[in-house]
Amino acid sequence: MDDAVNKTEQDQVVIADRTIDEPSPAERAKKRMLGHKGFMFGAIVLGVILAIAFLAPLISPHDPLDQQLARKLIPPIWHDHPKVTWAHPLGTDQFGRDYLSRLIHGSQISLLIGFAAMLISGVIGTAIGVAAGYFGGRVDMVVNFIITTRLSLPVVLVALAVVSLIGNSLWIVIAVLGLLIWDRFAVVMRSTTQQVRNLDYVAAAQAIGCSTPRIIFTEIMPNIVNNLIVVATVEMAHAIILEAALSFLGLGVQPPAPSWGLMIAEGKNHMLFDPWLVGIPGTALFILILSINLLGDGIRDITAPENRN
Amino acid sequence: MFRKILTSTALAAAVTLSVAPAAYAGKANDTLVWSTTREVAVADPYYNNTRELVIIGNTVWDGLLFRDLKSGEFVPLLATSYKWADNTTIDFELRDDVVFHDGSKFGPEDVVYTVNFVSNADNGVLTQANVKFLESAEQTGPNSVRIKLKEPFPAALAYFAQAIFMMPEGHYDSAPDGADGKKDYGAVKPVGTGPYMIQNVVAGDRIEMVRNEKYFKGGPKGQAGIGNLTFRTIKEMNTQIAELLTGGLDWIWDVPKDQAEKLGGMDNVTVTNAKTMRVSYIAFDVDGDSGDKAFTNKKVREAVAHAINRKSIVENLVGPASVVIDSACHPDQFGCTQDVKKWDYDPEKAKALLKEAGFGDGITTDIYAYRQREFTEAVIGDLANVGIKANLKFMQYRALRDLVWKGTTPLHHMTWGSNSIPDVSAITSHFFGGGRDDPAKDPKVIEALKVADTSVDPEVRKAKYKEALGIISSELYWLPMFTYAKYYAYTSDVDFTPTPDEIPRFYTAKWK
Amino acid sequence: MLIYALKRLSIALLVAITVSLLTFSMIYLSGDPAIALAGESATQQDIENIRKVYGYDRPIIVQYAAWLGNALQGNLGHSHYLKTEVSNVIFDRLPVTMTLGACALSFALALSIPLGVLAAMRPNTLVDRFALTLAVIGQALPSFWFALIMIFLFGVSLRWLPITGSASWLNFVMPSIALGYYVTPAVMRLTRAGMIEVLSSDYIRTARAKGLRPGVVLFKHALRNAIIPVVSLAAVQFGFMLGGSIVIETIFAINGLGQLAWESILRADLPMMQAIVLVLSCFYIVLTFVADLLNAFLDPRIRVS
Repeated sequence: MDDAVNKTEQDQVVIADRTIDEPSPAERAKKRMLGHKGFMFGAIVLGVILAIAFLAPLISPHDPLDQQLARKLIPPIWHDHPKVTWAHPLGTDQFGRDYLSRLIHGSQISLLIGFAAMLISGVIGTAIGVAAGYFGGRVDMVVNFIITTRLSLPVVLVALAVVSLIGNSLWIVIAVLGLLIWDRFAVVMRSTTQQVRNLDYVAAAQAIGCSTPRIIFTEIMPNIVNNLIVVATVEMAHAIILEAALSFLGLGVQPPAPSWGLMIAEGKNHMLFDPWLVGIPGTALFILILSINLLGDGIRDITAPENRN
Repeated sequence: MFRKILTSTALAAAVTLSVAPAAYAGKANDTLVWSTTREVAVADPYYNNTRELVIIGNTVWDGLLFRDLKSGEFVPLLATSYKWADNTTIDFELRDDVVFHDGSKFGPEDVVYTVNFVSNADNGVLTQANVKFLESAEQTGPNSVRIKLKEPFPAALAYFAQAIFMMPEGHYDSAPDGADGKKDYGAVKPVGTGPYMIQNVVAGDRIEMVRNEKYFKGGPKGQAGIGNLTFRTIKEMNTQIAELLTGGLDWIWDVPKDQAEKLGGMDNVTVTNAKTMRVSYIAFDVDGDSGDKAFTNKKVREAVAHAINRKSIVENLVGPASVVIDSACHPDQFGCTQDVKKWDYDPEKAKALLKEAGFGDGITTDIYAYRQREFTEAVIGDLANVGIKANLKFMQYRALRDLVWKGTTPLHHMTWGSNSIPDVSAITSHFFGGGRDDPAKDPKVIEALKVADTSVDPEVRKAKYKEALGIISSELYWLPMFTYAKYYAYTSDVDFTPTPDEIPRFYTAKWK
Repeated sequence: MLIYALKRLSIALLVAITVSLLTFSMIYLSGDPAIALAGESATQQDIENIRKVYGYDRPIIVQYAAWLGNALQGNLGHSHYLKTEVSNVIFDRLPVTMTLGACALSFALALSIPLGVLAAMRPNTLVDRFALTLAVIGQALPSFWFALIMIFLFGVSLRWLPITGSASWLNFVMPSIALGYYVTPAVMRLTRAGMIEVLSSDYIRTARAKGLRPGVVLFKHALRNAIIPVVSLAAVQFGFMLGGSIVIETIFAINGLGQLAWESILRADLPMMQAIVLVLSCFYIVLTFVADLLNAFLDPRIRVS
């Protein structure tokens, strides 16, 4: 079983994959950050999407829920079509709702899904991963068992089953995703904690009688936080893509909330004749995931020298 | 090690590739390939209750009667004549020139066997709604049978026409034992008398049928015009459309309106919109079981009724063959009347009613649905415009039906297809006869329906159904929405006419 | 070694039972299987009849125990919906999904390993950038979108490839690419990282110093070591692909295990669902085990310890 987990650990090695950066001092991190194109791109794009999400009510031209069937399926302005209008630069959907406004409001929901699911899975995964790594022995065995059980459950299937049966509000989707994708956190945190635990200063802290929670929070956590952030970005992207897949099967976030996954799901039936209905939210989703992944890669590259692996 | 894995993979690939037959569709191969999104594994109309098996049931098997769609009358099919002996007994005279696909001759013993088999609850027939009124059958002459009903049931003729199919005597005797020790009746090789016979079933993937060259002459169905008929499951509508455009499929349905209209503009595809027996309705939690008391107030129900623009939904989303309905039944069903209280689209009035009811600040509630999410989404949009925020809970049918029975849904937007039975007893009596599906349990409605269901006098039935339907609409236990219409899309090579009961008659199709 | 294998086997069994208990209760508690079986137009009485005839009126725990007892004897049960033995259906569908998974994995490995090696040999060059870009884009493209674009491009517009069916190997081209490309980034990165590490190690320097030909050094010494974690990753990914091919199977109308699972969830076909999850979890366990053996084969150090 140990090995079963180790295998996936190697799956995680991807995260720890580092370019051939020569070791360099920590104070040069900022410089490297600015010099890292992927990181800068990711950070700026994600920043813009975040700003759009926060400012959604102010910048969106229409109410994203305002339905007028009479003006449905107006194509976006770059199409050569008599119905095209600047009042709806990205056109309208099959219910006559302004597509730009839905896209803007949808950013809130897609970010929320990614962030909240990542947070839930992060808390679960980190808690049991650190516990297993720190205490070892029986605890480690039990945690390994739980991780193996989780890994042998096909995620998409389980998510589908739960969501199709108990209904799929935003929070149910978030909870299901959060409860399913914690494995990477657990595996990575477990192995990182194992390494840190055996370091001298942890032994020193134990020797002078520090309490276990204190050791974990003041000695262990700060040393594994870099890895944690990298996993967090990967999982956030993972959650967003999973929600899109659920949406494709009609089981993502439900109306009236305008998530990008839902927009793709509703547009997908029009894919052949009005491909922009899927193309616009699909591209938005692609850019969001791209920027999160680039940010994660960037953080890993920049912090790699201080990594203890 | 690597080599071993590669070899076994190659082997697996070879096996998969060799067993799957190629799908050739079209006129050149005299094969009509039709597809739906549903998986069909059991090719037996009694042990599979999907629409696909209703269609295949009517294609591969025959009932005693046949519904003439032009006149709406029931004419003999395997029978030559029928007569009500009393209100629970029907006598049938049978044809003597019919043979089953396996060559055996059809006769009264087959009818007796089939009726007695399917009416026995222990045999676990899944289409219970179609057989539960049957008591027993007995042979009364060389070519005649008598069928007894459990209680007076005037709608029985419709079931003999399109739901009770004749199997050869002893058909289910060869059923294998299931792992649980029970007989596995659905696993028997299908044998019928119909215009097509089943040649090959690949569970969940395809059912291949060939024309029954020995189909009896002079019947209302007649000999099939196309040599081979294949059913395929393709779940993704985009894939279905892509296959239709490239010739892999000849016939699909349930195409959403916007795509159907655009498909209609293509050269080699014919698109039609046809009626179905399915109706859409919104049911209210009239007694407040769900904990959401808003809809116990009739003014709130009226507000919802005035808020929803049913006409616009019909015109923009459903299709030209769909109509708005005001009573809790399909206009084509016997006993259905639209002469009931009507609720017009009037959002201002809806807002005023909400204010009167004390909900001037709006209502937040949940709406449950399981089918055609876009229709429910349009309802949500209309409700939002008058201040009712309805969050959609979209789920599987079985999960939703469970909730409806428990009474936990404040609003549910559902549909009912009446098994294509053209009689109000198949819908209104089911929902308002006092059972678990009844949201109101109004004693006056229950009583009226009971009289109507069991009377053999058509005028009494009509009058009593009208009384019940009138109460349901004026009290707004349901908001009847619209009838469903289906878009069919098929290759222009085929001469096909959609029917208004959602049972495509592939045996009448021909190549042009 | 034998004790180790036995220990693993028993844990695997425990995992499988836990997983099956989880699935069973989850599906059961969320909706009545009898309603699904009775279909859309069934009345309350119809459903009661069916519940009784098919044994759904027994307590859940009794039903689970009955299922488990049979499963342990190798009897996976009987699908009330499909009217046949569950094991028959699974053996019917498994090869399809496995073929798809194997093709997808072959595609992924054939693309990602050479790219990874090239990128590692020439880090921070155009080749490396290209590989990285491909990886980043691959991770951000939802597979259903990619699949539908391929259908409309290669199936409808260009008519190069058949869209559905399994008549020839051509039918597997689009689904394999759609399923496999998502794995490509991870394998590519892992190969690249492993190669960079190995290439800078002492023994490769020694080998080079001894004057061995670069090709020999690269393939015989470096790749052989760098590929070890890739094998494990590929095994795990193969397991995930089998479970995650629902979307691809749905789009390309491939009649495999993924579709079967999805359908079984929808119609509450408990024995079928149970068996699928069991098979998939066993697969995962077996694959990780096989990956270990492969690793031992490739890396003598593991064999010795």
